[in-house]
Amino acid sequence: MKQVNKKTTPVKKSFVKKKEEQPAVISAALLGDELLLQEYAKLFEENRITVFFEKSLPANAKKITYAFELTTADAGTKKKHLQLFEKLLSPETPIISSSITQTLLEQMQWMQHKERLVGIGAFPTLIENSAVELTTTFHTKSEIADAVQNFFAAIKKEACFVQDSVGMVMPRILCQIINEAMFAVQYGIAQPKDIDEAMKLAMQFPLGPIEWGEKIGFKNIVDVLDALHSFTKEERYKVSPLLRRISLAGVFWNSHSSR
Amino acid sequence: MALSIGIVGAGTMGTGIAHYAALHKCTVALYDINDEVIRRNIERMNFEMKKSVDKSKISEEEMKQAMQRIKKRTNINDLDTCDIIIEAVLEDVRVKKDLFKKLDQVTHHTTILATTTSSIPIAAIASATKKPERVIGTHFFRPAYSVKLVEVVKSIATSDDVVRQTTDALKQIGKKPIIVKDSPGFIVNRISSLFFSEAVKLMQEGISSVETIDLLAKKSGGFKRGPFEQMDLTGNDIHLALTKSLFEQTSFNPRFAPAFLQKQMTELGQFGKNVKKGFYTYEDSL
Repeated sequence: MKQVNKKTTPVKKSFVKKKEEQPAVISAALLGDELLLQEYAKLFEENRITVFFEKSLPANAKKITYAFELTTADAGTKKKHLQLFEKLLSPETPIISSSITQTLLEQMQWMQHKERLVGIGAFPTLIENSAVELTTTFHTKSEIADAVQNFFAAIKKEACFVQDSVGMVMPRILCQIINEAMFAVQYGIAQPKDIDEAMKLAMQFPLGPIEWGEKIGFKNIVDVLDALHSFTKEERYKVSPLLRRISLAGVFWNSHSSR
Repeated sequence: MALSIGIVGAGTMGTGIAHYAALHKCTVALYDINDEVIRRNIERMNFEMKKSVDKSKISEEEMKQAMQRIKKRTNINDLDTCDIIIEAVLEDVRVKKDLFKKLDQVTHHTTILATTTSSIPIAAIASATKKPERVIGTHFFRPAYSVKLVEVVKSIATSDDVVRQTTDALKQIGKKPIIVKDSPGFIVNRISSLFFSEAVKLMQEGISSVETIDLLAKKSGGFKRGPFEQMDLTGNDIHLALTKSLFEQTSFNPRFAPAFLQKQMTELGQFGKNVKKGFYTYEDSL
């Protein structure tokens, strides 16, 4: 049997030309949540991309070719970071900003040069794999979107564009799975370690939902679900009380414990 | 002493369990009311085992011995010597209750009566027997001869001793049992229903396409299959039935609401890969 009419987002043909036009040294400025900063910095450094963090940013602003804002939930911090980029970087430098709890369009309201903003589904653990999800709005210049797509193609990440919406695609699906697993723990349906084992054995999930939640950070899961609930007003995004308690307590959830 | 397993229903699931148990040195009594169904599915099992021999997963001798351990049965009274009886018949509460009522009468009172149901409450099936403490769920996953996981579902009436004996029996046949409370969708169907329904919702809201969501699930999430590919493979009709059952059993919890699109697809017969039309269109390779 052969599947037909399946399409993937092709890498733009212009990439070959663009590659020649790109500066010899690619550099990226990174601001945002600690866990995401670590993941993105590791990936970029492995691909010989020079990385600048907040402290070294002002002195190296002219060298920066791409800027990443990787704050998942704190709108105040995100706004401050985006405005700092705008103040320091040239107006043509693409800014790629996490758009999971605030839509890209909302973030554009804080910016003078909206046209260089591209959204990304930056969520812990996802950048380790081979595709990234991006989003744009009608303000985004197509040249900027192409440049960001080419940037990721150069480091062997397939860029998939989705509509600008809270949770985007994978973070939204993952948060729902993890939330349901926490409901199951709360209702005493099974032990956390058994839930993880079951989903890996029966559904071939790459990680069990609870261990995945630990890696992502339960606060991030709650933030995304709260944003989805607030945005859609739908009951299905209500956070499991156990998940919220664990997130608020900030305690490490040991998935192999029976507690 | 070798475990003696009775299997009621010689369809794909029942035969898959028989296949696995026989390879793990259990005596298997495979029962069905239709002799032809047993013969046909034992032939298929023979074919699957031959494939394993060709791939050197098992030896010819192991295959021969396994096939000898499987006994065809068309009289339900012949299951009276089994340690555990696993029911794998139609997913219909009335059919299962009638069967358990009969099994309750013809088997020894210590025999464990297990059901492979994926959606019917174990307590509902157990209510047809005089000893509900010996009724338990053993939810196997397809294909039963290769997926190790079995959800062992304990109803409020199931005794701890029956849970222990069932998990021991499953370990003996090489399975990985996990104990689950009798609740809607148990664990796997409950959690995976969100994987599927959220994907359908994203597509219906126009956030992304079927193809891109599947691609992201595999290449960004690291899942083996995308949600739409998986639904097409399992069957949209089966998915819809599971979701409907979850929705009803959870008193219409909106997290489990069936997608309108899936209802329409099922009505139009777009069940998935089996019928070459589902979320994707399939054609025969040349």
